[in-house]
Amino acid sequence: MKALLLGAAGAALLHITPTVILVKRQDAVARLLPGAEQFSARELHLSSTDSRRLHDAVGWEPPDGIVTFYVGKRQAQTTGALVFMRVDCQHGPLELAIGYDPRGTIRGVEVTKATVEMKPWVVEALRAGLTDSYRGITTEQAPAGAEKVKSQIGAMPGYMAELIDKGVMHANAAYRLFYK
Amino acid sequence: MLYDLRNSDLRVRWLVTLLLATFGASYLFGAWMVGLYAGYSPRKVAETYGPAGEEPMMMQMPPETTMVSERPISMAEMSEEHHHVDLDLLVQDTHVHMPMYAVIAACLSVIALGLTIPRWASFATIALLFAAPWLDFAGMWLTKLVSPHFAIVTLAGGWAMALGYTIVAALATYQMWWRKQ
Repeated sequence: MKALLLGAAGAALLHITPTVILVKRQDAVARLLPGAEQFSARELHLSSTDSRRLHDAVGWEPPDGIVTFYVGKRQAQTTGALVFMRVDCQHGPLELAIGYDPRGTIRGVEVTKATVEMKPWVVEALRAGLTDSYRGITTEQAPAGAEKVKSQIGAMPGYMAELIDKGVMHANAAYRLFYK
Repeated sequence: MLYDLRNSDLRVRWLVTLLLATFGASYLFGAWMVGLYAGYSPRKVAETYGPAGEEPMMMQMPPETTMVSERPISMAEMSEEHHHVDLDLLVQDTHVHMPMYAVIAACLSVIALGLTIPRWASFATIALLFAAPWLDFAGMWLTKLVSPHFAIVTLAGGWAMALGYTIVAALATYQMWWRKQ
């Protein structure tokens, strides 16, 4: 019975906490593709060679080989593109929305989802101005938001900031290599 | 029979009843959650766990050259949650859920050991309780790696889980509170 109870407690501790929505996807789209009236989904089914290219560039490839960019248009003019990116860690997944302007520089980054456990850490990193540092950077530049806010926040929010940097880096590589 | 639930101490029967009620409630919410995120038809399950994309039943291997498709989409569709479990998430799901499933199967098996049923039926019930999560996750992995047609195995796992719980809960409740000696 003791072993059973310990097993149950262990299993409960291992369980990742539920996901919470920090920003609704709809709101993220409105903020990152402002003024867009029409949208299209550009789905890239990567070949093994291109998946490897992406992996060589940033140490990541989409697990199912697919990257989807959402393109915003206004009167047939492209207003920008947006990609949702998931970053996994032992505490659960984070979802980011990364928006690009037509020149290919980052218009903004929103953290759309986290887990219950991660939420306060993410919120602390965001309050320190983490996502401000991504605005305007090109896809060639390495995102360094974590470095800028680490001195003002705790260790776990700092770790979340590193994960968000990583997600932005993955999105930048996908955009740079395949978005045309 | 290792112990007899029918004649067990009132506190044991109370514990078992509350445990079964709690599992029952969590199973109901589990069924609701499956309906929300995966669905109950083999096609829906294959879409959730199989390869991603517009035509998951067709496209399993990476194409020889990168393929790009573009289609108009509404704001509502873009905001819609397409719950798709990719390989990384399935690794994480398997890692966190399998131990919990094992603990639940073990708890129900301990209850089954106290039921007044033939020895073979006890073996069969325990086998069913543990087979259910194995089928569930084997189905998810086979759907992901081999063919979307294996979604049926995941559905079989889910129904086996419900069946195992129903058998144990019904027999235990009946024997503890109605058919006492």
